[in-house]
Amino acid sequence: MTRIPLRPLARILQAREKGENPDAIEKENIRQRHEEMRDKARRRAEGRLLVLGVAFVCAFAVVGLRMGAIAASEPREPRAAASGSEILAQRSDIVDRNGKVLATNLFTHSLYAQPPVMIDKERAARELVKIFPDLKEERLVKDFTGKRKFLWIKKKISPEQMQAVHDIGDPGLMFGPREMRLYPNGRLAAHILGGASFGREGVHSAEVVGVAGVEKVFDDYLRDPANEGAPLQLSIDLTVQAAMRHVLEGGMKLMQAKGATGIILDVHTGEIMAMASLPDFDPNNRPRPAVEGAASDSPLFNRAVQGLYELGSTFKIFTVAQAMEEGLVNPSTMVDTKGPMTWGRFRIRDFKNYGPELSVTDVIVKSSNIGTARMALMVGTPRQQDFMKKLGFFDPTEVELVEAPGAKPLLPKKWSDISTMTISYGHGLSASPLHLAAAYASVLNGGTRITPTILRQEGPQRGERVVSEQTSAALRDMLRQVVVRGTASFGEVPGYFVGGKTGTADKPKENGGGYYKDRVIATFASVFPTNDPKYVVIVTLDEPKTHALGEERRTAGWTAVPVAAELIERTAPLLGVRPQIAPLPEVGITLTSN
Amino acid sequence: MSYLEYNVKTVPTGLKKVLYLNWPVVVLLAAVCSVGFLMLYSVAGGTLSTWAEPQMKRFALGLAVMFAIAMVPIWFWRNMAGLAYGISLLLLLYVEFFGSVGMGAQRWINLGFMRLQPSELMKITLVMILAAYYDWLDIKKVSRPLYVAIPVVLILVPTALVLRQPDLGTSVLLLVGGATVMFLAGVSWWYFGAVLAMVGGLIFAVFHFRGTPYQLLKDYQYRRIDTFLDPSSDPLGAGYHITQSKIALGSGGWTGRGFMQGTQSRLNFLPEKHTDFIFTTLAEEFGFVGGMTLLALYTLILLFCVASALSNRDRFSSLLTLGIATTFFLFFAVNMSMVMGLAPVVGVPLPLVSYGGSAMLVLLAAFGLVQSAHVHRPR
Repeated sequence: MTRIPLRPLARILQAREKGENPDAIEKENIRQRHEEMRDKARRRAEGRLLVLGVAFVCAFAVVGLRMGAIAASEPREPRAAASGSEILAQRSDIVDRNGKVLATNLFTHSLYAQPPVMIDKERAARELVKIFPDLKEERLVKDFTGKRKFLWIKKKISPEQMQAVHDIGDPGLMFGPREMRLYPNGRLAAHILGGASFGREGVHSAEVVGVAGVEKVFDDYLRDPANEGAPLQLSIDLTVQAAMRHVLEGGMKLMQAKGATGIILDVHTGEIMAMASLPDFDPNNRPRPAVEGAASDSPLFNRAVQGLYELGSTFKIFTVAQAMEEGLVNPSTMVDTKGPMTWGRFRIRDFKNYGPELSVTDVIVKSSNIGTARMALMVGTPRQQDFMKKLGFFDPTEVELVEAPGAKPLLPKKWSDISTMTISYGHGLSASPLHLAAAYASVLNGGTRITPTILRQEGPQRGERVVSEQTSAALRDMLRQVVVRGTASFGEVPGYFVGGKTGTADKPKENGGGYYKDRVIATFASVFPTNDPKYVVIVTLDEPKTHALGEERRTAGWTAVPVAAELIERTAPLLGVRPQIAPLPEVGITLTSN
Repeated sequence: MSYLEYNVKTVPTGLKKVLYLNWPVVVLLAAVCSVGFLMLYSVAGGTLSTWAEPQMKRFALGLAVMFAIAMVPIWFWRNMAGLAYGISLLLLLYVEFFGSVGMGAQRWINLGFMRLQPSELMKITLVMILAAYYDWLDIKKVSRPLYVAIPVVLILVPTALVLRQPDLGTSVLLLVGGATVMFLAGVSWWYFGAVLAMVGGLIFAVFHFRGTPYQLLKDYQYRRIDTFLDPSSDPLGAGYHITQSKIALGSGGWTGRGFMQGTQSRLNFLPEKHTDFIFTTLAEEFGFVGGMTLLALYTLILLFCVASALSNRDRFSSLLTLGIATTFFLFFAVNMSMVMGLAPVVGVPLPLVSYGGSAMLVLLAAFGLVQSAHVHRPR
């Protein structure tokens, strides 16, 4: 930019020559320069003002259009009755595989008092005690007349109680809305569902938080408003669950057991169709954990998932499965069963002497410890460990229950040859009944590993292969033989081709040092139908005993097996498995005349 | 052009000044305030004494203050700008320290006849000092970093103080109002672009990384932002006002239910029916037509202010007028978007209509400055 000097010498000299005042030139130039500057600032300001004006117009347009849009809309009340505070009370329902409600929310009220605004405190206390007999009048009067400005009276009240309190007519008695968790089926599936309680509480709402089971594992999912109340669907079938609990409860009483567990597992999908543990509790009124006594005897204890037991002879099938898979034996191979078998300072006995030799099938059918131990020795320790790990006996089950990760199977500290032999017939390794169910399903479904799940699945699991199809079929055949002519003869349910293995394990003493002679864990692990496996059924009784044929009986064949048979008979139709009845032999009709 | 350079003799003197006032603006202000009286009368259920009467008294006082300020030459006000800003800042600090110790969390100072909110005062004095600053500053230096930093500090200090009170609405008003004056004064586009880009980037980062391990805020903080941005997700909690005011606006329809016939606001559904949410009453009783009329009145006030600023060759006057007009615009733009659920509820009153002493008095005083600039403009 060329600047004109304020006092250009030429013009000043010119002016002087003409006798004019040269200062006028300077003044004129200053004026011009100022005008230039002002015009420049002005042009810039006008540009900026245009931008601002556009912003103004846009804002007006938006506000005006919005006003028009709202004016044109139909007024309507807000739909959602969401809480008035930041505490979110919403919680999704839990349903079974057919959509029947297992857990839902019920809208109730809580009752609280604000003593400063109460009119007749004594009368209010007197009337309240009439409505809620468990309240103490003196206590209420003391609270109302004391310095407290606020107190809870009842966390949950029924509509009738609410009306009665309303009729007292005291403005200081107030109600706050409450969502409470309701389990309409009571004790059914108590351990699976777990339970819920209140978290943060306010006058207008209270959080409902899961404390155990599915409610706790899926707490975040259930409380997430983003799911818009979509229910959580479990794999269990409410009708099957109901039948199972009924049968188990009867069986437990009949066999004088102190606890019972049942699991029905789909062998292909890994879905738990039903799972019960007795004694149980009502999740609507979840008891506090017991202070004394063994935690494993508490009703809150889920024996099916948390209970770690030596499951006895039911394990023999795994030993046979591995021996066959390694090509060491086939079902008709003869195995040495001469007893007693000594190994170092240990002796292994059979329930009774079965003679010098049995076929592999008969080892299972008659449940020979010695025969199984011999096969385990053929397999060897490293391969056995490998196989047990594949079947899931080294880790907690992956089922979606908060209790599951705590139940890690108990393995021998030092896995010697004698451990290999005892584990082959189910001693020295403690696992939960659910571990057993999963392992049975894995070897019997055709030979692929499944993981048990409590959530409904769309299709079969495609796990890693643990045994071949042929081995799996042979094992099912052996299990069928056990029911037809072996230790589980009470397990026959006409038309369902039940196969299974019994297991009776002495209970270890709590303070260590040996086993009880008269306390057992009796287990029947079964599969049906054996020709086309669909479900694995596990029944475990804790310390059962029964009298039969003039003798006190504790073995699984006399205790767990009949309960399991009843269970299968009752639940198979509910599960949609049709009995396959062979046509009756034609009976010749003899015509007689008289 | 600075006042030292134009001929003061052309400016009217004495009572003649009254003739040179920007009368259309005065009339429009009175009209807007009258709408306010009507609404306050209606909201109070047909009684004058609750809200309408005190509001009228304040309007009378405010009008007197406006005329008094308009009579004083604008160059006096320019010289006072620094002092006024300093006093407002001191009052803000006083509220900050003594407000919390002595009077709970109060934002005002009790003057006996009225309660003064220093943050209201600050809205005007901030515009004044910025206008004076740019009047003093050589126009060529406007975009140099040092000379940009000075007004930025002048804006941010009171904004931070107000934010601490906490009063989000007023601090937004201060920030945007101050930035607009800087923008009009000709500060380079680059500064504004950079700030906008940074804010945009920050918002993008906050939301983009949500749910990833790098997320910048905690989950519950995101949830609060969600409710803040979309109050309708919690219709009885944070969204209560919005829901109710939308119902009121919707039930007003195109022509409204008629004067004194509003239900939503008079039946106490809205706690702030006479202050921040008074527009809902207007919209319910006079409908879309009534709302648009008020909007038109505001627009006309703005137009007259802009016209006055454009015809004024004095840089201070022009910037001051535009700054006050912008602040006024922000007031009702934010309030209306808030009421209509376009913006979060931040607590900004509807200017001259909402019940409240400080806001009305300060706004009328500000229009006094606009009038003074108009009367004493160089001719």
